[in-house]
Amino acid sequence: MTNTHISERAKNYADGILKIARAEGIQNELEQQLKDFLAILRQNQELMTVLADSDIDIDRRIGVIRDLFTDQVQPLTITLLALVITAGRGNELTDIIDTLIDRAAAGRNRRVARVRSALPLNDKQQALLAEALKESLGFEVEIHVLIDPSVIGGVVTEIGDRIIDGSIRNRLQQMRSSVH
Amino acid sequence: MANTTETAKLAKLDTARHTKALSLFASTMTRHLQHSLMKSLLVLSVTTTAILAAAMPARAAGETIGGCVLEKLNTSFEDGNYRSLEQMLTSTASKENGKSDDDKKGGTLEKKLEGCLEAPDTIIPALDEVIWGGLAFLVLLGFMQWKGFPAVKRAMDARSEKIRNDLDAADDAKTSAQRIQTEYEEKLKNAEEKAAAIIEEARAKASQLKLDLQAQAEAEIAEKRANASAEIDANRSQAIDDLRSEIATIAVDAAEQVVAASINPETHRQLIDDYIDQVSASGAANTARTNGSP
Repeated sequence: MTNTHISERAKNYADGILKIARAEGIQNELEQQLKDFLAILRQNQELMTVLADSDIDIDRRIGVIRDLFTDQVQPLTITLLALVITAGRGNELTDIIDTLIDRAAAGRNRRVARVRSALPLNDKQQALLAEALKESLGFEVEIHVLIDPSVIGGVVTEIGDRIIDGSIRNRLQQMRSSVH
Repeated sequence: MANTTETAKLAKLDTARHTKALSLFASTMTRHLQHSLMKSLLVLSVTTTAILAAAMPARAAGETIGGCVLEKLNTSFEDGNYRSLEQMLTSTASKENGKSDDDKKGGTLEKKLEGCLEAPDTIIPALDEVIWGGLAFLVLLGFMQWKGFPAVKRAMDARSEKIRNDLDAADDAKTSAQRIQTEYEEKLKNAEEKAAAIIEEARAKASQLKLDLQAQAEAEIAEKRANASAEIDANRSQAIDDLRSEIATIAVDAAEQVVAASINPETHRQLIDDYIDQVSASGAANTARTNGSP
């Protein structure tokens, strides 16, 4: 989930899409729609595999995106996602969207805190967590919640290379290690 | 009587002629033959001539009975006892009567003739035999002294020398044989000693090898036993660890299932709030550490 492994090409794609969104004046909408798209994509491994499979016809993969998200996102968002698939970078789609979100937050002098939890955090919890992270890290953060049942309970926060793990899964893992 | 005399003369002339011829032959050969082989033949001829010359008188002296009778009759004629052969025969036939001188002469002639029938003395030889035998002996002795004895002496010296050389050679051969025997015995002794040393060395090596192999086998057994023991301990420890890990995994999995089943939305909310409080508390601690002490 970190950005360290992301290629320079993915960063360029992210910058290009962000510039298009700014030029069209839909940066915030595009950013939010891509966050939702990314959340769905990470919760559906099969969908991610289909979009990344170069053996499947491009039109068919783009058709899958249109069928699933036409009613939920703007046409430009569908077009930009189709652009990435057409360019043969379907396997880097999640990295491009992550980089786009980071670049957009950086444009607002903030960093993205990716929070994984078994259940969604309400707005109050997100605000308190953002405030707590600001106090702890010394900079403004934007909370990006990802639903991950493997966490079992609690929260795992990733900011860049830093991980703050308060999940039940982590505690069970520690107990497993101590017993072994 | 005349015939008898003629016969005796002829015999002597014949003997002299033979002797002269042989002497001439010998002298002729002596003059013409200078070669050593011919000298030997000459010596042989001289010897033969001398023997024959010595033998001729002996043969002449060795009379037969007839010769003896003729010689007696001839002697009686020469002595003038009888005038004719008839008178001699008549006196001889009437000798038993002994009536006249003729009868006595006849008895004397008869005794002389009977003497011819008497055997010669077996012990004392006749004088002429002694003379001729002595001459032959002297000739033979001279010849033997001149040629025979030196030759025999040379042959005996050569024989002695040969025997001496043979004895020396035999001594040398014996010495050499003894030396070779000594060397052989020495070599045999050395070989036996060497063989004994080799056998002893081989026995020592075999004994040492046996000890080494035994020690090596014992070391290998000990090593294998130690390895087996270590492997058993390792397997036991690994089994215990695996069992402990398996039990822990089972326990943690069971706890995870229990925890996951026991977590409800309220528990989730409480866990998130606790997390936020912890992050906030760590931020406050960092702030205090930054503002307070170094």
